[in-house]
Amino acid sequence: MPAPKLRSRSLRRVYRKVPGGRTVLHYRKQKSKTGHCALCGAVLKGIPRKRPSMMRKLSKAEKRPSRPYGGNLCTRCMRKKMIEKARA
Amino acid sequence: MMEIGRICVKIAGRDAGEKCVIVDILDDNYVLVDGQVRRRKCNIAHLEPVAETIKLKKNASHEAVASEFKKLGIEIKERKSKPKKERPKKIRGREKKEKEKAGKPRKSKKMPAKAEEGIESKVGGRTEKAPAKSGKKSK
Repeated sequence: MPAPKLRSRSLRRVYRKVPGGRTVLHYRKQKSKTGHCALCGAVLKGIPRKRPSMMRKLSKAEKRPSRPYGGNLCTRCMRKKMIEKARA
Repeated sequence: MMEIGRICVKIAGRDAGEKCVIVDILDDNYVLVDGQVRRRKCNIAHLEPVAETIKLKKNASHEAVASEFKKLGIEIKERKSKPKKERPKKIRGREKKEKEKAGKPRKSKKMPAKAEEGIESKVGGRTEKAPAKSGKKSK
């Protein structure tokens, strides 16, 4: 039986192949969720999946794409929005 | 639709949402753009044309575009390039060793010399101060 603290799902589980040939279960900290587009729900690119403490260490440019609505909308939705604005 | 002098809005990249003018047509897909955005080559697919047009010569300068934009009431932020600073030169390898060698004996020579000077100046300072003060008073 694993230790009681490892029996919950607060840690994610990773199977690692050991040099001896066995596969071993390792426990790692959970990853943060991926960023999603606020309009269409697509997975956003250019946003690192790091723990909040690590995100704090990153520079602003490393956290999201440096364009309007970067880190909030996907490029397709952003372009649609910009076209709507230009035509209005 | 895409001719020289046509005002467009950029819809892609970090300049998205900014107004620009077509200054030159480079090929079927690309145009040269200037205005609120950086003066640059741009894909037509990344531009949304607006009804307004400006009378511009082909390859018009940024100043000409800026003055025309002012008439329309569109502000252009002038981006000044920073003056280049001289970086401290990194010294590596053999040069560094040579410099360290050259630097150490100088320090060792200076230190005792300074100490001697200090003592002298202290002694001399007391003697010098008295006549200097008296001289000022006399003036």
